[in-house]
Amino acid sequence: MAAVVEQAASTVLRPAVAGRNPWALAWRRLRANRIALAALILFLLIVVLCLAAPLYAHDVAHVENPLVPNLNGTTIVGGRVVPVMQQGGGLLKLGETPIAPTWDLHHYFLGADNLGRNVAALLLYGGRASLQIGVCSAVLCCGIATIVALIAGFFGGLTDSILSRLMDVIWAFPAYLLAISLATELLTHANGVPVGPLRISATSLWTPTFIIALIYVPYVYRPVRGQVLSVVNKEFVEAGIAQGASNFRLIFSDILPNVVSTVIVLMPLMIATTILTESALSYLSVGVQPPNVSWGTIISNAQDLLYTRPWVSLAPGIMIVLTVLALNVLGDGVRDALDPRAKLRVR
Amino acid sequence: MLTFIVRRSLWAALVMFVITALVFIIFFKTPGVDPARAIAGRNPSPQTLAEVRAQFGLNRPLVVQYGLMMKRIFITRNLVSYSDQGVLVVPEIFAAAPATLSLVFGATAIWIVMAIAMGVAAARLRGRIYDPILMILALIGVSTPVFWLGQVVNLITQNKLHSSVFSWVPPLGYTSFTTSPALWFEGLIFPWITLSILYIGFYARVLRANLLEVQSEDYVRTARAKGLSERRVLVRHTLRTSMITFVSLFGLDFGVLVGGGTILTEVVFGIHGVGFLTWQALQNLDLPTIMATVIYGGFFIVLANALVDIGYAWLDPRVRPN
Amino acid sequence: MRQNWSKVARLGGRTGLGTLAAVAALALVAAGCGNSPSPSASSSSSTPAGHAGGVFTILANSAFGVADPAQNYTLEEWQLLINTHDGLVGFAHVGGLPGTKIVPDLATSIPTPTNGGKTYVFHIRHGIKFSNGQVLKPSDFVTTFERQFTVPGPTSFYSTIVGASSCTTKGCDLSKSGGVVANDSAYTLTLNLTAPDPELMDQLSLPFAYVVPAGTSLKLTGNNVPPGTGPYMWKSYNPNTEAVLVRNPYFKQWDATAQPAGYPDEIIEKYGLQVSDEVTEVENGQANEVFDGDQIPSDQLTTLNSAQYAGQVHVNTLTADWYMALNTNQPPFNNLMARQAINYAANRTAYVKIAGGPSLAVPACQILPPNFPSYTPYCPYTTGSQTTWSAPDVAKAKALVQASGTAGDKVVVNGTNDQVGTALAEQMVADLNSIGYKASTQLLTAAAQYPFVQNSANSSKWNVAWSAWYQDYPAPSDFLNVLLGCGSIHKNSDASPNIAAFCDPTIQSSINKAESVEATDPTQAASLWTQVDHADTLQAPWVDLYNPKQIDFLSKNVNGYQWNPQWYILIDQLWLSK
Repeated sequence: MAAVVEQAASTVLRPAVAGRNPWALAWRRLRANRIALAALILFLLIVVLCLAAPLYAHDVAHVENPLVPNLNGTTIVGGRVVPVMQQGGGLLKLGETPIAPTWDLHHYFLGADNLGRNVAALLLYGGRASLQIGVCSAVLCCGIATIVALIAGFFGGLTDSILSRLMDVIWAFPAYLLAISLATELLTHANGVPVGPLRISATSLWTPTFIIALIYVPYVYRPVRGQVLSVVNKEFVEAGIAQGASNFRLIFSDILPNVVSTVIVLMPLMIATTILTESALSYLSVGVQPPNVSWGTIISNAQDLLYTRPWVSLAPGIMIVLTVLALNVLGDGVRDALDPRAKLRVR
Repeated sequence: MLTFIVRRSLWAALVMFVITALVFIIFFKTPGVDPARAIAGRNPSPQTLAEVRAQFGLNRPLVVQYGLMMKRIFITRNLVSYSDQGVLVVPEIFAAAPATLSLVFGATAIWIVMAIAMGVAAARLRGRIYDPILMILALIGVSTPVFWLGQVVNLITQNKLHSSVFSWVPPLGYTSFTTSPALWFEGLIFPWITLSILYIGFYARVLRANLLEVQSEDYVRTARAKGLSERRVLVRHTLRTSMITFVSLFGLDFGVLVGGGTILTEVVFGIHGVGFLTWQALQNLDLPTIMATVIYGGFFIVLANALVDIGYAWLDPRVRPN
Repeated sequence: MRQNWSKVARLGGRTGLGTLAAVAALALVAAGCGNSPSPSASSSSSTPAGHAGGVFTILANSAFGVADPAQNYTLEEWQLLINTHDGLVGFAHVGGLPGTKIVPDLATSIPTPTNGGKTYVFHIRHGIKFSNGQVLKPSDFVTTFERQFTVPGPTSFYSTIVGASSCTTKGCDLSKSGGVVANDSAYTLTLNLTAPDPELMDQLSLPFAYVVPAGTSLKLTGNNVPPGTGPYMWKSYNPNTEAVLVRNPYFKQWDATAQPAGYPDEIIEKYGLQVSDEVTEVENGQANEVFDGDQIPSDQLTTLNSAQYAGQVHVNTLTADWYMALNTNQPPFNNLMARQAINYAANRTAYVKIAGGPSLAVPACQILPPNFPSYTPYCPYTTGSQTTWSAPDVAKAKALVQASGTAGDKVVVNGTNDQVGTALAEQMVADLNSIGYKASTQLLTAAAQYPFVQNSANSSKWNVAWSAWYQDYPAPSDFLNVLLGCGSIHKNSDASPNIAAFCDPTIQSSINKAESVEATDPTQAASLWTQVDHADTLQAPWVDLYNPKQIDFLSKNVNGYQWNPQWYILIDQLWLSK
């Protein structure tokens, strides 16, 4: 989980340039950055592909429900009907091996996994889960971190000390223990867990989403708090205080807009990090739960097949690398666009 | 300065206390983890369970149990594992540490050299096509899940090519240096590379950014104006200044890794170090070992954080709180 | 088999424990001739004495935990302990069916009980020495039995001994209580029980009851194994590295059936290897045996089919069940029709594929495993013949679900989160959904899953739970009473082996009857057990999935393979070509 510390340096950010319509300016700069734009297109392409998962499964691969085990299923290779799971040969006939990639988009393009499921279809469905968890946990994490940072930075003193130490605790806390304990605890509530007015099913994607969001709160908290501290003493805030504006108003109308750009710069990088974390948790089987699949669970299930059916684990790995790479490049572009003084530019 | 150090250390101790207490509470709140059940072995009778509970003090209040466990870790050092009562937890961690240290030191050496080379090269080649290529390579390193990279490396070195190009690669696992220095090295070279790739990418980017920033500072311009060679300016002035961020970040990462942050690399390469031990303990829900690894890992993380903070305070008095 | 985490570590838990005792009384029949492609069993009686010598190396993924024989409950250590220690009686140290027979070991004969089945007088052999040179005396057994109660372990095996109930982990005096009386001059040992125990001889044959010297500490000896009387002795044991057994210099063979001298001079078991590396090293001849045959990754399993390894792979059916327990306390499976419905619907072919295919598992639908005492084939939940499973009957299952009025109920399938556990749970969810339930999985780490599903406090949280059971010794009660008897339900305890919480008073009275006539009328007892098995199966407290098979993979230079249904491979009887 070393990736956790990733990007700490890039968070040494400067305040957004004050000026006329900085957002339009930033967007123009981003559009001019061809590499970042290519990354954005790649990312959107992956998103669209994954959203089209049911389309592929039903209309191209003709799989009724790609997430259900298909151990007794058959498919067609070279015009012949063959079983999806093939028994070992020789005298002993030990083992059952899933079908290898057929490179035929209609029939097990990337082969089958250990449950006889169509890997190509799983890959797209898995991408939906990975992306959903990545995006939602990054948004959730940034949201929580920003609120805590605003409170800590604005009130300072004891509040700040306590909140900052709390963040230290979360940061140094063993993330896997948290994941295992929370997963066990949540999973054993058969009827789901109430979150506000909603009831979250134990096997839902929200379980790993919350866990991952929590793990990274301190990581976003630190730079945002620094940003808040540097804004709090600025003249316009002091002017607001002098005018007797409420704390609420000061925090949300005066300070928040000045730290939003920091959060926006962090966002693509956070999505990249959370996608990597999701895959790691799922690899260690405490992430996404059946019947859902994610890129991480596909790799995890393919471990025993690594040498005979390498594509089951290569394909989702490549998807992770492409997605995370696109997000990282995009993250660089966004930072450059929002902060023209930054030197860390890809182009 | 002294007060700052003392204060920082006190905070660190408090953070460690809260973490261990939380681990303790979370453990006992997790369903299906009655330690008496784990200790008593397969299929114990209810009487046996009751006796084990009494013998191990598991029927006492959590506060007392927490105190006893800390005493057994720090003072008497005789805490035994729940899943194997023949195993003393503290010596087990110290026995696993050399594997983790070997992995981390080797990977660190590779990543420092490579990151500096790539960062400096990219900064000096700025404006040419090599700079973005190097930086994209660095980003690919940063974007690759380490466990998957490890699997791909195994696929290459342990499978078909194992009978030809990679026949010298020993089976997965760790051989201690004292047993066989050659096997130690051959077994660790791929784990080192795998672990270092992420950090090479990350540190090369950090260093490049810092180099570019420092290059525009006045004193560097002055040095150049004095007619110093480009190389001398780089080594004497730019690189030295840029390394401050590098070193402080490095301190944090190093602390995390030494403390068991190499869990995925250790798992995928079968290296029985502290990370592996942590993972095993989590799988077995073996609280004593979990606790000891959490304290061990937390110690390094908190220590690294504190050292970096103190170092900063020493370098930059403005950070020191009044 | 082939746990996902086998690459990481053997989990404590049933599959590990599963490796536990095994046996099958009659399994040998199958082992010797039936489905074992190997020439295996029964080749050793002719082995000439000239084969002794060499170091036999076993590779294992992980060690067996604490080594104290009073506590250890794993087949992994028992396979070694049977070569270093002896009990009053023991299973014959031979392969095949004769290996389930209990023969006198340190006792000169198996005594007939007196006092209404409550008193046993054993005559102890003279002239036997422990590996530390100490002479074996009847009083050594007093300490051995007292240690059962002072060292936490499965003490319920010996709890019928007089005075056992007042023993605690702090102290125990069985000679004062009259439970275990040693007479060192007459060389006899008397066991007095509070009630007749038809399985006493089975229980005395387990390594818990193997004798240790009288001076042995009543506390846990940790990883130091006390001296024993067998042909080998423990030189060292470190769960992180290896166990080393060397010849016991004081051993003189007294009965080749009970405790024969072994062939290798040294037996080493190495720990901490990945299963795939165990296989590779044995393929290369760098070691002699793969211990974790049940965890060989699918990748490598198929390579073992190659003709070049034909003589090195041995497959034997285990007397073990892999099953899904149905929670009989909660709807829908408090309804008999619902329980029978899922039994009809479960597609055993799919589960067998998860286990590695028909060469590695046999579909099952009754409680007792094949080749077990009192087993007669019975399968009401299939199409066609009602003796063996052939195909699911989904139509009948759907009709039963409708009739039971449980259609559309939510069902939670609890399992372990390793690769095989996940696969089994997902297939069960698919089977349940196919007959009209709304099923979902609940996958826990193996160490938590087993205690979790046993504890009645969690009963409302699951409906179907995976579990597995490997026999302790070949007695039907070890399945029928231990796993499905009313007495195996302990409320609010993590140790309540009747996971289904199934208790049928009529069946329980048959169980009690069978136990009471066991000693006097074994034939009637056997037929009663058969009836209990079939009655339980018809009540459907479980969905039985399959009976697994064990793979042994040995290096090319190993000879004399013997499969003992209780102890599996007999390590000391293997010899190495020179």
